[in-house]
Amino acid sequence: MTTSITYDDKTVRRFMTASIFWGVVGMLVGLLAATQLSWWQMNGKFLETITFGLFKGEGLAYITFGRIRPLHTNAVVFAFVGNMVFAGVYYSTQRLCKCRTASDLLSNIHFWGWQLIIVGAAITLPAGLTRGKEYAELIWPLNIGVVLIWVVFGANFFWTLAKRNEKSLYVSLWFYIATIITIALLYIVNHLSIPTSLTHSYPIFGGVQDALVQWWYGHNAVAFFLTTPILGIMYYFLPKAADRPVYSYRLSIIHFWALVFIYIWAGPHHLLNTALPHWLQTLGMLFSLMLWAPSWAGMLNGLLTLRGAWDKLRTDPVIKFFAVAVTFYGMATFEGPLLSIRAVNALSHYTDWTVGHVHSGALGWNGFMAAGMFYWLAPRLWKTKLWSTSLANMHFWVGLVGILLYVSSMWVAGIMQGLMLAETNPGGATLKYEFVETLSQINILYVLRSAGGLFFLLGFILCAFNIFMTARSGKAHDDTVDVQILEKTKKDTMTIGESLRQDPVIYSVLSLAFMILWFLLPHHADKAALAVTLILIAKAVSLFKKEGNSWGHYFDRLLENYLPFTVLIFFAVAIGGMVQIIPSLLVNKAANTEERLQIPYTPLELVGRDIYVSEGCYNCHSQMIRTLVPDVMRYGPTEEQGYSRMGESLYDHPHQWGSKRTGPDLAREGGALAQGSKTMRVGRRDNLWHFNHFWDPRQTSPGSNMPPYPFLFDTKADLKSLPKRIAVQTTLGVPYPAMTKDEIEQSARDQAMEISSSLVQAGAFIPDKPEMTETELMRHLADTEIVALIAYMQKVGSYEIVDHRREGKALDPDSIRKQGKAEPAISPTTSKR
Amino acid sequence: MFHRVIHENWTTIVPIISFVFTAGIFLFVSIRAIRLPKDRRDKLARIPLD
Repeated sequence: MTTSITYDDKTVRRFMTASIFWGVVGMLVGLLAATQLSWWQMNGKFLETITFGLFKGEGLAYITFGRIRPLHTNAVVFAFVGNMVFAGVYYSTQRLCKCRTASDLLSNIHFWGWQLIIVGAAITLPAGLTRGKEYAELIWPLNIGVVLIWVVFGANFFWTLAKRNEKSLYVSLWFYIATIITIALLYIVNHLSIPTSLTHSYPIFGGVQDALVQWWYGHNAVAFFLTTPILGIMYYFLPKAADRPVYSYRLSIIHFWALVFIYIWAGPHHLLNTALPHWLQTLGMLFSLMLWAPSWAGMLNGLLTLRGAWDKLRTDPVIKFFAVAVTFYGMATFEGPLLSIRAVNALSHYTDWTVGHVHSGALGWNGFMAAGMFYWLAPRLWKTKLWSTSLANMHFWVGLVGILLYVSSMWVAGIMQGLMLAETNPGGATLKYEFVETLSQINILYVLRSAGGLFFLLGFILCAFNIFMTARSGKAHDDTVDVQILEKTKKDTMTIGESLRQDPVIYSVLSLAFMILWFLLPHHADKAALAVTLILIAKAVSLFKKEGNSWGHYFDRLLENYLPFTVLIFFAVAIGGMVQIIPSLLVNKAANTEERLQIPYTPLELVGRDIYVSEGCYNCHSQMIRTLVPDVMRYGPTEEQGYSRMGESLYDHPHQWGSKRTGPDLAREGGALAQGSKTMRVGRRDNLWHFNHFWDPRQTSPGSNMPPYPFLFDTKADLKSLPKRIAVQTTLGVPYPAMTKDEIEQSARDQAMEISSSLVQAGAFIPDKPEMTETELMRHLADTEIVALIAYMQKVGSYEIVDHRREGKALDPDSIRKQGKAEPAISPTTSKR
Repeated sequence: MFHRVIHENWTTIVPIISFVFTAGIFLFVSIRAIRLPKDRRDKLARIPLD
């Protein structure tokens, strides 16, 4: 029996238009952020010139680098690529399932809900409302919105699969399923938080555990938001554009399952040479190296699909964009494993090399796949011809030159800065360059990067104009086709239980379980586990030889049963996360720290830390001295400093290890209590230095590109919400003593007054408030954010020495809280810095 | 000069040289390709291959 179906292409048009719009916005913000690194005036002072003096000030809070860099990344990842992915998924899924999307209502909720979240992000991020975790900055109400909308998307997608009129699931649909399941898993775990107000929360993970969960998420956001759905789009749109079937179906099976299984393990390569346990670093590196194979299988499958159609490169801009995009996928997935090798990472990490790598993926792979898809879709969605092929060709060349300029300048900047930071004077005992000298040296490359970004943006504006004119020249059109209705008895007949009771699944699970036991069990027992693993693998191989056909038949049946297929994907991605995260959940406790344990922040220091997070300082400053000689020489040269230990950031919710050093590491910025003071600390630099530095960074560090923060000298610190914040921190296991609300506020005020008094005594003054007397200035400063931030800066990295072995008993944070002591007294052998 | 490259400031010089070298060649061949007259381009593209 046949029926006539009209596809819902309105939703596709909407998502495509939204993607183009947010793409231009996201890239424009990125360009602004890029110029800020070359010219600090771009953080607000330039407004004086363009408004002819209407705006006055050294900087504008809403557009400082620390606030708009997250806006750029979120806009590009979730708004530009996200909307593009949804357009591709809605278009191809309907055609692959030969049915209209299950619910127009859900499609509408999905579209408008997603745009609402993006608008929410565009308002809150510049306002400094953030969770302080990269690519997971959005505040908790928006997180809930994302989860709800994702569920709507998933429900609509799986409902469509259930209604399909095509028996088997095509490769693209496998990738979409993996995307929906895995992003849900990653997003929920990494966004688990306890709110302290409507706009603020603390993540439930802290320190090393938070770092691990964050990069498990961060890396796999790249994998399952920026890669797997785009691969699904590649497998659908590339054969369509080339008018050829996919090169190898077998290769696509290998590509899919290997990619999905391996990708999830690779997150720790973002934390190489840090305080992350070594076994996790090694796992991350090895799985990253193994990713080479499936990634290149995908690239080759894409490029070889163009066999016999290469002549179209001359005439068809769609094929041009796709061919270069897939090539960039191959290059970026070659570079990624390379950067995951510990020795290479020692040079590349925290430098612009990583930024170049990310952009070869984002601009080359995602950006060009998006453009190719838009140029292919637009004439079909508006039933007309592409308005201008020449303009599309111009977009291609302008964009390509932009990408090449961008990534090559970032490679050179990263390598040069990495080399300079490690360079020593003759004799090798002292470092050759100050941090700021390396920054001056790479500035010319930053300018070229901005030029590359500008080229790419101009190309994309051409695309927006071309698509707009195409839409104007045609009329919105929804395809109608006749399809054969598939009887319910011919699809989805396998139960989940049946799908799991199959030899391939049983042997895979058992082999993996014993392999994990091989890692975890004590001596000798581990060897037994390894022996069992080998026996199981041998048995599986022999079974496959005998019953290979039935295994193939099982896989074919799986493709006709979307629920069991989805469950297996879930297992494949969940295993990697569980093996890496669960052990760290168990050991990341004060009782297990060796040697050093972080001293919790006082109430005022906590306020200061929240300001540090809110201003996005982590975008440029790390708080992690790696176990590398150049790092230790630069940031922790004395024996009591040294590299960062796991326990030093145990109570940091969220962790602030950072991923890029546009400025120096701050892990040893804090110091001991000032003489005669109970709360005020003095670290590497005195209070006045920090005061002047935040007002005008170039006053204290000539050549710095840090934004000025004059607004911190006026904004009042939020002390009212402190009791709630400390209550949440206590719930999370930070050993605060029992304090009343008044005691908390009084403690913060006393410390603030001590710092502001020291500042005034040292001769501090606010240049735009010369009329203030010393007393007025002291009172004014004690209320402001700047003093809270200085309190935090002077505390960063403070720890005490603990020796659990000598003490003979583990630390119990709860017992300390019950005792009501100001700071945890761990052992008689404790010393503090 | 050699003393600077070999002993002193190689980290600041060598990466820039590599960039300028690569960009220079890229720019040179790009300009060469763009300025090639159309008839010459077509003739070279149609050189008999057998």
